[in-house]
Amino acid sequence: MATADTVVVGLLLVLLVVAVVALILGLRHRLAFRIGIRNVYRARGRTILLVLGLLVATTIVSGSLVVGNTIDQLEVHYTVLGVGYNDEAVGNQSPSGAWTPFPYAVYTDVATATVGDSSIAGMAPEIVSSVSVFDRTTGIPQTNLNLIGVNGNQSSQLGEFVTDGGAPLAGPAPGEVILDDLAASELNASAGDPVFLYGAGAIAIPSAVQAVVQDNIRGAFPTGGVGNFGSVFVDLSLAQHLENMSGAINFLSVTNVGDQANRLALAPQVSATLNATIALISAARGLSVDQVLVGALATANSAANSIETLFLVLGLFSIVAGAMLIVGIFVLLAEERKGEMGVLRAIGLKARELVYSYFFEGLAYSAGSALAGTVLGVGVGYALTYAFSILFPQPGLPSSAILNSFTVTFETLLAAYVIGFLLTLVTVVAASWRASRLNIVRAIRDIPEPPPTVRTYTFLAYLGAASLVLGAVLYATTFSGTSDASYPILGGTFAIVGLALIASRFVRNRIVFSAAGAALLVWAGYGHLHSVLLGSAHGGGIFIIFTEGIVMVAGALLLFAFNASSFADALLRLAGGRSQNAPVARIALSYPSRRSSRTTISLAIFALVIFVLVAIAATGATVNGSLSSTLQEQSGGYTFVSYSATPIPNLPGLVANNSTVAPYFSSVVPLDYGGIYVNVSGFSGNPYSDSIYSGPATEPLSSNFYATNQFTYTGTADGMDAAQANAKLATGSDVAVVDQSYAPVTNNLGTGSSSGVHPKLNPGDTMLLTNPVNGHRATVTVIGIMTQSLVSGVFVSPSTAAALGISEEKVFFLTLAPGVSATAAARVAKAAFFPYGLVVLNIADLLATAVASTEGVIGLLQIFVGLGLAVGIAAMGIVAIRAVVERRREIGMIRANGFTRRMVLQAFFLEYSFVTLVGIAIGTALGLLIVWNVTQGSAAASAGVTVFTVPWLNLAVILAASYGLSMLAIAEPSLRAAALPPAQAVRPTE
Amino acid sequence: MPEPVVIGRDVWKLYGTGDTEITALRAINIEISRGEMLAIMGPSGCGKTTLLNCFSGLDEINRGQIWLEGVDLHSMTDRAKSEYRARRVGFVFQAYNLLPVLSATENVEMPLLIGGLPGREARERARAMLTELGLGDRLDRRPSELSGGQQQRVSLARALVGHPAIVWADEPTGNLDEGDSRQVTALLRHLNKTYEQTIVVVTHDATVASECDRTLHMRDGQFVS
Repeated sequence: MATADTVVVGLLLVLLVVAVVALILGLRHRLAFRIGIRNVYRARGRTILLVLGLLVATTIVSGSLVVGNTIDQLEVHYTVLGVGYNDEAVGNQSPSGAWTPFPYAVYTDVATATVGDSSIAGMAPEIVSSVSVFDRTTGIPQTNLNLIGVNGNQSSQLGEFVTDGGAPLAGPAPGEVILDDLAASELNASAGDPVFLYGAGAIAIPSAVQAVVQDNIRGAFPTGGVGNFGSVFVDLSLAQHLENMSGAINFLSVTNVGDQANRLALAPQVSATLNATIALISAARGLSVDQVLVGALATANSAANSIETLFLVLGLFSIVAGAMLIVGIFVLLAEERKGEMGVLRAIGLKARELVYSYFFEGLAYSAGSALAGTVLGVGVGYALTYAFSILFPQPGLPSSAILNSFTVTFETLLAAYVIGFLLTLVTVVAASWRASRLNIVRAIRDIPEPPPTVRTYTFLAYLGAASLVLGAVLYATTFSGTSDASYPILGGTFAIVGLALIASRFVRNRIVFSAAGAALLVWAGYGHLHSVLLGSAHGGGIFIIFTEGIVMVAGALLLFAFNASSFADALLRLAGGRSQNAPVARIALSYPSRRSSRTTISLAIFALVIFVLVAIAATGATVNGSLSSTLQEQSGGYTFVSYSATPIPNLPGLVANNSTVAPYFSSVVPLDYGGIYVNVSGFSGNPYSDSIYSGPATEPLSSNFYATNQFTYTGTADGMDAAQANAKLATGSDVAVVDQSYAPVTNNLGTGSSSGVHPKLNPGDTMLLTNPVNGHRATVTVIGIMTQSLVSGVFVSPSTAAALGISEEKVFFLTLAPGVSATAAARVAKAAFFPYGLVVLNIADLLATAVASTEGVIGLLQIFVGLGLAVGIAAMGIVAIRAVVERRREIGMIRANGFTRRMVLQAFFLEYSFVTLVGIAIGTALGLLIVWNVTQGSAAASAGVTVFTVPWLNLAVILAASYGLSMLAIAEPSLRAAALPPAQAVRPTE
Repeated sequence: MPEPVVIGRDVWKLYGTGDTEITALRAINIEISRGEMLAIMGPSGCGKTTLLNCFSGLDEINRGQIWLEGVDLHSMTDRAKSEYRARRVGFVFQAYNLLPVLSATENVEMPLLIGGLPGREARERARAMLTELGLGDRLDRRPSELSGGQQQRVSLARALVGHPAIVWADEPTGNLDEGDSRQVTALLRHLNKTYEQTIVVVTHDATVASECDRTLHMRDGQFVS
């Protein structure tokens, strides 16, 4: 709260400072103040138009922040629901995720020792594990359900269950089970259904469904299982019976006093009390206290922040576009008022006063547009939340819950307002300062500005030298190391721009700036160059996309701006043969290509927005395409990956001997599985907790993992191929292969260096493996990094597994027999080996789920970033409106010369089509380029994203919508231009 | 007697309605012969420019009839008027009204292109006309790179390049200094004589009027002499 309060105070302070400065300036420069404020009032239609144009950037900021708030709220809401009243947990969780049993007396001792502690509301001894359930009424089995054993009377002090009908329920009755909605759905179960429960003993224990309760409060205890199929609540004695834990528990759940905020605040204190208490209990040795609520909220906030950052960074393109729109609007405004500014200066108004008058006018626009934009952003945030709730409801995350999470905080509104206000104001003031530097005579007589003088170019050369030095220093200090790769990229950019400015003093602008544009394009757009020059250790993540995107778009625009005439002339030559089109094309293409500064602003806005839209679409398509195309790599040629709760010795034999199951599978490959600690040299998070696998030593060829797997490798030691690596792995006692998550990030477009998250290594490196259960150790050399990351962990030989004491057959690869249904095969296998808690996962389905999830996120991002299109469309509309006013006499002249209304209309549409389509072309080409670059890097290879895919349909929709909406925006002014009576239009004044 | 290119009978032009109604042209009757150079003079607001606009087809009249080369202007659609202007009418304005984004050549070739002439031929004729008017070394300059007199000569070239039936010039020397003014007037006269070009000049400038074959004076929307 303190941080939030600080932010609020800081923002209010900023507003106060601006207000005080404005007040002082207003009092000292009253004439400028009056001129500025009168300009706001004198043309209300234009003021509304200006505010509409200016509010877009604030809307995007506000929308981003509101989306962040909402996601934050959603994450926190579901985290709290998931954690329930389990604020602290006392227990000992093994690397495999299972909770180690400890005597029930520990609970009694802890409860006794903490009686009277005003911070603790209650405490429940529990057994937390996994269980398989067979519903005897529906005939449906379900494995790997969360098992929570807790006595009804102890459960009630931690909160009540709520049935689907809304009735409160004390807790599980002896001998019966309570299912949450998700588990009931998997089993198609109803209250009263008789069931069989299969725990650690794999023996069927009869029971019945007492009730089905809502997926809240009790649902997500950490069991370490694969997937979440729902939770089963039984009383403690039944859980002890199921898990063979007579007289023991494995989890002590503690609830703090008060509401969520209180519970959170009390967590350190209660945690300390519990730690002190268990330290005094000998039976509690090895147990630790986990601050479940604190940890879960931190994870949730981190996830929410990541999503908020993603939205903000992608929104940055639109914000930059919005800022450019503001500049464009004020440049147009300044041009419109050039004459009157000249007169004001002529009658004695100082240039500074002119800036102040703009400042006061801009202040009014900024204040109004920031307010409107903030409010509109809230609407946009709600619209996005609504879209999300409609498009992506999930089990346990219904639409209503998503909508209910819609949150707007005062801090958000204030931050959006202040950011939008300052962004607008700063841009307005900068544009005003530039506009006020006018030649009085030229302004009054409306004479065009002369070309820049040598003095101007000399000044630019000095500026260029400074930019060159800055760029060189930035590059030299950041080109290697672990810094954000944006810095050296920006360093190079500054250097290129600096060189161009210096050269412009001596060489023609067109040559210099065309070269600079091309250089910027190559510098930011040729990813391989970065790998060569910058090395592999940079991070930066998504911000690099922003940096590179801006630089590339700037390069492309420079190239266009200084070659637009040639480009237009080439197009004109194409149209030249057709006499009917020639004059229309001449007029239409000459304005944008020969007034390139104004065109460049419109182009920049459009190109930036289209760039990010296309990049998102192409990223989604590429990720999905890669997921689909790498099915073979991810699956290793198998159809299913399967896990069991209890070991199944000789599953291949059991399958072969089961006439019901055997026809469905052509091969069954077992793996010994266990938890392992991994130590990798240089990794800060040692030991890293992971899984270890090995093929049992005695399997026949058809069930031998080393002989049957078709997994590919992204890197092997000594240049081995996959078959050689597998052969060496089968027999070597000191070798291992690892999944793709161990692959180093060697491209600066990746998500960062390897420190802290996951150990990274190269083929040939060694790792120390330690079995956490028995302490056995083995040092192995990694001979290959697999392409797959679906089954994560370390694969070793049978002899290494034996040395480490890993011998439980709990992971299996199964291959579907030809001509049978995968769904039926999974169901049959699950039912047949149900007592073992066998989970059968179709690898293709897992990938398809990942594809659907990616599409969902991409869709939402596109909707959000699509808001930026409003900037581009507003830009087109405003420029077109201004053009009608500005070109009135010119329109009159061409009408006098024989242009029909239709030809004027055609000329306008063609002109804005040209600008829009060039912007779309630049944005599309660069958006595709940056995604293609990403797919060429090893970071993408690490993530399995290697197949660049162009989303043609998605692109067609984006481009058609962009173009269509732009044309709609310019339709009204174009029609107005066409309808101008020529006799009035040719007159010098309206 | 040369045939009349322009005939106006009882032409009225009103602006506004009710109390704000202004009669800009009042029962105008006029005939302009082919090859004639006519000056129309009068004080500001007397209706000179309105007359030019109405008789060139840029504006509508409220009453009366106007024939251009024997065709009733009133019977033409807007499109037909545009096509007629493209082929048969040239304009010169006080403020030049050149398209700032086009070069001198491109400005001059524009009416030819609108009239349907192929691009290459239009360009050659535009260059020839500009060269004839002394702008051979300014062909690719944009208006902002030309002096006022040069801009008006480009404007003249644009008006004359298609050999129109009639050129309407609205205060063609109004923005020029004395030297440029004299030069433009001489050019107008030269082109009138050389090509037998019908030219109607609306002007305040007595020097310009003195170069014309005939001068008509206007006051309050009608001819007074």
